[in-house]
Amino acid sequence: MSMFAFASIDDLKNKLAKKEVTPQELVQYYAQRFAKYDDSLGSALEIFDTNSVLKDAINSGPLAGIPGLIKDNICQDGRRASCASKILENYIATYDATVVKNLKNAGALLMGRANMDEFAMGSSNEHSAYKKCRNPWNDQCVPGGSSGGSAAAVAAGLVPWALGSETGGSVRLPAAFCGIVGIKPTYGLVSRYGLIAYASSLDQVGVLTRGVKDNAHVLSAIASHDPKDSTSIASQDYDYVKNINMSLPKEFTIGVVANALNAEGLDLQVKHAVEQAIKFYGEDLKINIKYLDLKTLDYSAAAYFIISRAEAASNLARFDGVRYGLRSKQAQNLYDMYADTRHDGFGDEVRLRIMVGNYVLSEGHAGQYYHNAQKVQRMIRQEIIDTFTKVDLLITPSQAMPAFKIGAFDQDKLQMDLQDYFTCFVNLAGLPAISVPCGFTKDGLPLAFQLVGPHLSEAVLYRAAYQYEQAHDWHKKQPSNF
Amino acid sequence: MVKITREEVLKLATMSRIHIHENEIEELISQLKSVLSYAERVSEICGDVSVASSKNSNVFRADEVVYTDSQSILAQAPQAEDNYFVVLPILDK
Repeated sequence: MSMFAFASIDDLKNKLAKKEVTPQELVQYYAQRFAKYDDSLGSALEIFDTNSVLKDAINSGPLAGIPGLIKDNICQDGRRASCASKILENYIATYDATVVKNLKNAGALLMGRANMDEFAMGSSNEHSAYKKCRNPWNDQCVPGGSSGGSAAAVAAGLVPWALGSETGGSVRLPAAFCGIVGIKPTYGLVSRYGLIAYASSLDQVGVLTRGVKDNAHVLSAIASHDPKDSTSIASQDYDYVKNINMSLPKEFTIGVVANALNAEGLDLQVKHAVEQAIKFYGEDLKINIKYLDLKTLDYSAAAYFIISRAEAASNLARFDGVRYGLRSKQAQNLYDMYADTRHDGFGDEVRLRIMVGNYVLSEGHAGQYYHNAQKVQRMIRQEIIDTFTKVDLLITPSQAMPAFKIGAFDQDKLQMDLQDYFTCFVNLAGLPAISVPCGFTKDGLPLAFQLVGPHLSEAVLYRAAYQYEQAHDWHKKQPSNF
Repeated sequence: MVKITREEVLKLATMSRIHIHENEIEELISQLKSVLSYAERVSEICGDVSVASSKNSNVFRADEVVYTDSQSILAQAPQAEDNYFVVLPILDK
């Protein structure tokens, strides 16, 4: 059975079709792996009872019988959805998120809830209110965040795929730290209905898998036009698998974001690995490579901090001790009940982000912060639109550094926040981007680059990523303790 | 460097409906200063530049009543009675 641990979705589909294994056996097999490894890894907040996973499963569809894990901020009817927060400890979702409904209709088996940073706020998974999650390649290091549990479970071969969510890089960063593939789709390609909001104008559900084709399988299943999400957009085609083998068109150009590659503080091993990937595209695939600067890049993290915190302050106002789970018991009046509940129910990071959000929106500060951040966001969008008239895709590092030690940034939260430096401009511009593994540090920690494309260019991103992946062995490497 | 006073933090906490304990104030001041000082750089680049907003359009749907089982939603509340959420009194007797 051990051959299933790191099997691709296509392999599993073949084995299921040939009846070499049943969906029930697969779920039991992965449940046993969680039981064996996850006490120390900490990737899941809950693995459901096997019978309940199989009970309503449809045994047909593109993901029939393929188990996966869902980030804990995505609603699964009748299951807990805590956002790894104490304030939603006992919240049971009363409906399926559209992505969950789509996955069930595709026959997928949803095994449990992935650990994460509380309300998806963090870059290391250290802000989970429940437990630490560790990096499968080095248990002293973080898996990245905020979708850290999703990334760690997939990288450790505990499950073939997982859903995560992004606001500023929360799928691509943990994918890079854990040596797997992570996609952040075009804003609106995947429905946000049932994704518990952090910053609604930036949030998007993403997919984490060990291989590029696996990733395309899952995105094909979850992407849809959804009238329940007013920002949902209709695409011509949701099949990202069929043309994945196609080589890139002639006269294709990849733009290297030079000021990202030369950014102060970029780890040299990351830089070297990304340069090797650029060389592969230019020399092996004979693709045009064009170096350019994105002048707005260096302002994107600041604009992202402001816009995301402002929206968070508004979105998280609903957690007030009236409608969901936790309520402070000692309060004598309504105000104290709100304020005590929100102090005790939210962790430090969430409280800080709500307060930053209210500051940048408040009278006297909104002009300097929020309105200027919106202007910068428009400048970023305009610069990107202009850039994609000259190049087809962009390449940058996904990460500023390899996975860091647990606790490394306890005393320097700004540096922790700046882990989103290379990723958040993508969210501000609503673009799709994919993080692709491209090597290891001398200490064995994974490295990655990201490809960024114009709106709705997911099919091309997958093709470009697949060409790289198939010419290298990185995706075949497995962490040794699993 | 942005200046944040103790009074401002307390006002911000009130606006945010979050109680702040005395021993948390110093740390909050330092963290707010750090992130806001970094975020200030947005003013450097945009200045008085006017940039056209994107051409977003509104999306509407029909206002149709759909049956929802309110009991499963009320069951999540710390306190509920009949078809209502129960809160502490907001008017003096």
